[in-house]
Amino acid sequence: MANIAVQRIKREFKEVVKSEEVAECHIQVELVNDSFTELKGQIAGPPDTPYEGATFNLEIKIPETYPFNPPKVKFLTAIWHPNISSVTGAICLDILKDQWAAAMTLRTVLLSLQALLAAAEPDDPQDAVVAKQYKENHPIFLKTARHWANIYAGGTIREDDYDNRVIQLKNMGFDPHKARVALSTHNWNVERAMEHILNY
Amino acid sequence: MDLDDDILYEDDSGNESSENGDDQFMEMNMEPESSSSQKRDEVDDFQFEILTPDKIVSHMVDCIKEVNAVVEIPATTTRILLNHFRWDKEKLMERYYDGDQDKLFTEAHVISPHRSIVSKPKKTTRQTAAASSAEVTCEICFLSLPSKGLTGLECGHKFCTLCWTEYLTTKIMDEGMGQTISCAAHKCDILVDDATVMSLIRDPRVKLKYQHLITNSFVECNRLMRWCPAPDCGNAVKVAYSDAKPALCSCGHRFCFACGENWHEPVRCVWLKKWIRKCDDDSETSNWIAANTKECPKCRITIEKDGGCNHMICKNQNCKADFCWVCLGPWEPHGSSWYNCNRFDEDDAKKARDNQELSRSMLQRYLFYCNRYMNHMQSLKFEHKLYASIKVKMEEMQQHNMSWIEVQFLHKAVDVLCQCRQTLMFTYVFAFYLKKNNQSIIFEDNQKDLENSTETLSEFLERDITSELLVDIKQKVQDKYRYCESRRKVLLDHVYEGYDKDWWEYIDI
Repeated sequence: MANIAVQRIKREFKEVVKSEEVAECHIQVELVNDSFTELKGQIAGPPDTPYEGATFNLEIKIPETYPFNPPKVKFLTAIWHPNISSVTGAICLDILKDQWAAAMTLRTVLLSLQALLAAAEPDDPQDAVVAKQYKENHPIFLKTARHWANIYAGGTIREDDYDNRVIQLKNMGFDPHKARVALSTHNWNVERAMEHILNY
Repeated sequence: MDLDDDILYEDDSGNESSENGDDQFMEMNMEPESSSSQKRDEVDDFQFEILTPDKIVSHMVDCIKEVNAVVEIPATTTRILLNHFRWDKEKLMERYYDGDQDKLFTEAHVISPHRSIVSKPKKTTRQTAAASSAEVTCEICFLSLPSKGLTGLECGHKFCTLCWTEYLTTKIMDEGMGQTISCAAHKCDILVDDATVMSLIRDPRVKLKYQHLITNSFVECNRLMRWCPAPDCGNAVKVAYSDAKPALCSCGHRFCFACGENWHEPVRCVWLKKWIRKCDDDSETSNWIAANTKECPKCRITIEKDGGCNHMICKNQNCKADFCWVCLGPWEPHGSSWYNCNRFDEDDAKKARDNQELSRSMLQRYLFYCNRYMNHMQSLKFEHKLYASIKVKMEEMQQHNMSWIEVQFLHKAVDVLCQCRQTLMFTYVFAFYLKKNNQSIIFEDNQKDLENSTETLSEFLERDITSELLVDIKQKVQDKYRYCESRRKVLLDHVYEGYDKDWWEYIDI
């Protein structure tokens, strides 16, 4: 990796480790390998959101040309959010694309992602299904997001009725994750979710 | 007329003398002018100039100087302004003197040169406060450096020179940006001027690429300029006004100024473009392109999607359209109300089925025209080989007491043949989009005549020429190619008259 990138990451590392947010357990970065090309990030779900109390793991890949090109970031933890793909974890955020500036750091990226969790941009969606639910069935969206956070990211609030519906499908022999995706997609309508699973 | 000629030439061939030679010399000399004079008429009023890469640069510098002589601001700023106005000097002047200058500079993403002395932006305070001797941190590499080691634009964001160089290199080499590189700071859109780039970049490769990008955007943005599309030709053509007229580059390539394709008389650019796309439709590459790319709805450049987000921003530096990948509509309405592009439209589906029926019969029609188009294209390729074979013939004739100038008619004949082939090729494109009416029937008759005469000429040059007596060849060939020329002229004139008088009706396929 280019010298400038390694130097930057090393220094940034110190910055993140020292920063207040880490002290308060809001964001965290750790090395995956010695070459500084791959990092693991972690952000806490912001308060007063469906993601409160949950912790999300991120995959951060540092390109050769860092910091002149943005790091490649995606969610490893499954999440229900309009700007994050529920399938791949890909993120739609301008600063990770054309609005990236060399003066930005991993810390600012993680904080921006945290802010994205708090304020979704449904008009610029990554996951059209989630975005549609967000705009048309907001209460269901909130419950679904909370449910996903509880199941996959250690969120503390359980959505019992959703749990039950997943268990219902699981008992019928369906894979629980697939069942959850189908239910979430069809606003937790059990019949339509089953239809969905059987058809795809 | 033909008869007269016959007698005259029979006399000539029977009795070679220096006098006759002179006559023919005159005749040969006159001929190219007279035969192509009708064509010249069109070409003449279409003024163009061929610019070599060096000339392009000096032309660009001239443009900047010209504006600078009036507005008197730094040349680098003028360049950015001119680029903003797509090198339209008049438009720039108009805005410069009529409107709000500050707004103009903001739009063009430069700091007004009149203002730079007065107000230093606040961002610098941190650095200036630290004073020149103290160390400051470059926000890119996080290294502490003496503040004089940092540099920046008028916007006041300063970074160390090493980072600047790296930043510019990435932008130039990886993203292919030239005039549109902005300051490295977050949300700062002030453009980096060429003088700064050239002073910060050391690597000659990067410098060269940057210069290429700058000239490229100069030519591409400029309505009155176009690159010569021939492979490995670095020239550009500059015209007095933009029109679908033939331009002849000094490399020998003749192309249509408006669309850049080979000169495609009589069919118009739009139809030719449709045709080419249609013809390409069956190739593997275009299958892939169709499956994996779309065209920017604004500038029509082909785009491959490489991320999940459907909000597309065209990377073409001169376009930058915001649109939705799914429906290709502008992005704007997607923001306000939920988009329709996720809903399957029953009406659209029915329409699609009907279209399919229609397309079957259209396919038959298309194949008819395509076969003929391809056939002429193929013949044209083969006939280029004729130049070699007639060269042998010409040498043979020269050994039989004919002068060099006397045998040039053969070369001319092949020229005419190729011209006719090319015209015929494009008449099928024209005909494909043409609706049947009285005029189109006349057109088809003309086409038939030209086709017949072209085939006769082609056959003669390819085959019969070997069995003919040398003395007869000249007269026969000349008769044939003159007839071809006249048929070609009749056909083209008719088509152009049709354009003028709105005879042609088109089928929109």
